[in-house]
Amino acid sequence: MPFTKESVEEIASLHEEPDWLRKRRREAFEVYERLALPSKIDEEWRRVDFKGLKLDEFRAFEEPNGAAPGVPIDGAAGVLRQRGSAPGKVDLDPELAAKGVVFLPLSQGAKEHRELVEKRLFSEVRPDRDKFAAVHAALFSGGTLLYVPDFVEIEQPLVGQYWSSGGGAAVLPHTLIVAGKGAKFNYLDEFLSPSLDQPALTSGSAEIFLGEGAQVGYVALQKWGRHAYQFANQRVHVGKEATARLFNVTLGARFAKVRVEANLQGPGGMAELKGIYFASDDQFFDFHTLQDHQVGQTTSDLLFKGALRDTARTVYAGLIRIEKDSARSDAYQANRNLLLSKQAKAYSIPMLEIINNDVRCTHGATVGPIDPEHLFYLASRGIPKAVAQRMIVQGFFGEVADRIPFEQARRLVAEELEARLG
Amino acid sequence: MADLEIRDLRVSVEGREILKGVSLDVSKGEVHAVMGPNGSGKSTLSQTLLGHPGYKVEGGRVRFKGQDILELTPDARSRLGLFLALQYPIVVPGITMNNFLRTALNAHRGYDGKDKSKSVSPKEFRTLVEPYLETLRIDRTFLSRYINEGFSGGEKKRAEILQMAVLQPEMAVLDETDSGLDIDSIKYVSEAINKMRGPELGVLMITHYTRILQFIKPDYVHVMVAGQVVESGGAEVADRLEREGYAQWGEEVA
Ligand SMILES: Nc1ncnc2c1ncn2[C@@H]1O[C@H](COP(=O)(O)OP(=O)(O)O)[C@@H](O)[C@H]1O
Ligand SMILES: [Mg+2]
Repeated sequence: MPFTKESVEEIASLHEEPDWLRKRRREAFEVYERLALPSKIDEEWRRVDFKGLKLDEFRAFEEPNGAAPGVPIDGAAGVLRQRGSAPGKVDLDPELAAKGVVFLPLSQGAKEHRELVEKRLFSEVRPDRDKFAAVHAALFSGGTLLYVPDFVEIEQPLVGQYWSSGGGAAVLPHTLIVAGKGAKFNYLDEFLSPSLDQPALTSGSAEIFLGEGAQVGYVALQKWGRHAYQFANQRVHVGKEATARLFNVTLGARFAKVRVEANLQGPGGMAELKGIYFASDDQFFDFHTLQDHQVGQTTSDLLFKGALRDTARTVYAGLIRIEKDSARSDAYQANRNLLLSKQAKAYSIPMLEIINNDVRCTHGATVGPIDPEHLFYLASRGIPKAVAQRMIVQGFFGEVADRIPFEQARRLVAEELEARLG
Repeated sequence: MADLEIRDLRVSVEGREILKGVSLDVSKGEVHAVMGPNGSGKSTLSQTLLGHPGYKVEGGRVRFKGQDILELTPDARSRLGLFLALQYPIVVPGITMNNFLRTALNAHRGYDGKDKSKSVSPKEFRTLVEPYLETLRIDRTFLSRYINEGFSGGEKKRAEILQMAVLQPEMAVLDETDSGLDIDSIKYVSEAINKMRGPELGVLMITHYTRILQFIKPDYVHVMVAGQVVESGGAEVADRLEREGYAQWGEEVA
């Protein structure tokens, strides 16, 4: 069954959305109908293989069926749990609510905090980017609004957990985070589902806005089942003197096409973009990253590390763009891939677009098997090959995972990797 | 019969024969020095003994504790009681020394992640490690750093000997552990090795210089030139080497 105008209306009603948002959905749906599927002629989509994906076979949303969402995260300051496409349920530390922190299902946030949402929603992740971004904007189902007012600091992380339990549907959560001036906090998005027979269309997109001097850590942990086709855009808008630390951890789904982007809009702004991916069996992941230095004196630091097993394939393409007026900027980009089988294939494509010369810019890419000298060293100490291999891969990821800005996510990612490497 | 028996060992690297029939006998309780100029095949010998995949055994045999070890994987050789201190210890990112040492020790104990009673307790680990941290003048914080990452040349070599102390091998091959060390580090390393010396440990100490032999007195000295052992004897061989250099064997191997 193809997506229709009626499905748009139905979702808007299900979430009791205000008219302006309903109108946005309609416009996005028009874009969706107008746009063709991306073609292989387009460089970004050249290596992307989504055959087997039939957009007109999905139901527009998933009725929650009561299955359990992820395990609770110790000591979280706030949790939003969402099942299927229904609005999430929120638990927020009342002290934070008293300080003006807003943590709501996105549709409710749009209704109650129009001033926060209207001008930002889909301004960084634009519906006309491609057909998948359009369908996400037209049919996004649930998601989160988090607003942290100026100078509010939150010790413990906030958490969004999205659980899907049925195949055959579109499950398209969207996270909107607004950090006021000098706000400080961490956020974890966790996307979960069992592996099912029927394919699902999923996302897990995020728009994150950092006001002056804000410091925000964001971790997206993607554990969709192996039936999922994921299209996600995670983009952070970094204001003056603000620091964004964004970690993308991609482990699940049969197919994932993910963009991770930093839009550096204020001098002194800094974006750390980190990625971890582990692909096995016939998984296919494609990452496109952008470090967009729109103004000078901005810093970006990107490291994506992936390991591949079996017949998995991954693509990494990263662009550093430094605008004409963006002097004294500093950009670093690296992509490292470990091939754990002969059949696995990783492509790595770094790109630079530098219009200003008064900048520092370094990038590098590697693709290769485990260093046999590393294996020998561990083996020479009595460590069996399989154990040594696992340690080396864990160590390889550890360099990134150890830098995840909060303990709960660090532990979750470490456990998840351990289980999958096992 | 010696505990480690190397017979007519021939080894090639990338199609080139490097070891041209090496025979040595080393038993527990003995310290043997193997000396030779650069490129004579000393590291080839040491790496081959532990089964480095880059070295191809073309002939001969190696028995350790009566067992033919050339068919064994490097990790099995280690668990059998062989140890190699690398000439050039490598950095392994993301794995802490602590994790490395514990996992290695657990592997030696036969702990495979299941039977907890076989795993080494934190207390036991400490009692093994701490005295040698002190002897080797290694700061405790090194244990939480990644394997050899950011270690100076001397620190890497001392960390090798720490690993040896933890694993308590029956036969240790030390490949130029003294090279690149300042005199203080040589003293620390020698002190640690002398502490481990005893009837349960054999040492094959590969070195380029006679300097370390002032601190660790060998029972036997062998001279290796161009892939062959050209002379074997007692400590007096080292003295002669000290006076006359390697040139005296140049003729024989040409
Ligand atoms: N991994 C290797 N690849 C290529 N050549 C090697 C390798 N290891 C050793 N060789 C060669 O074998 C010879 C002996 O080297 P080596 O065993 O390292 O000597 P030593 O340790 O006595 O200095 C040298 O000519 C060296 O170039
Ligand atoms: Mg050598």
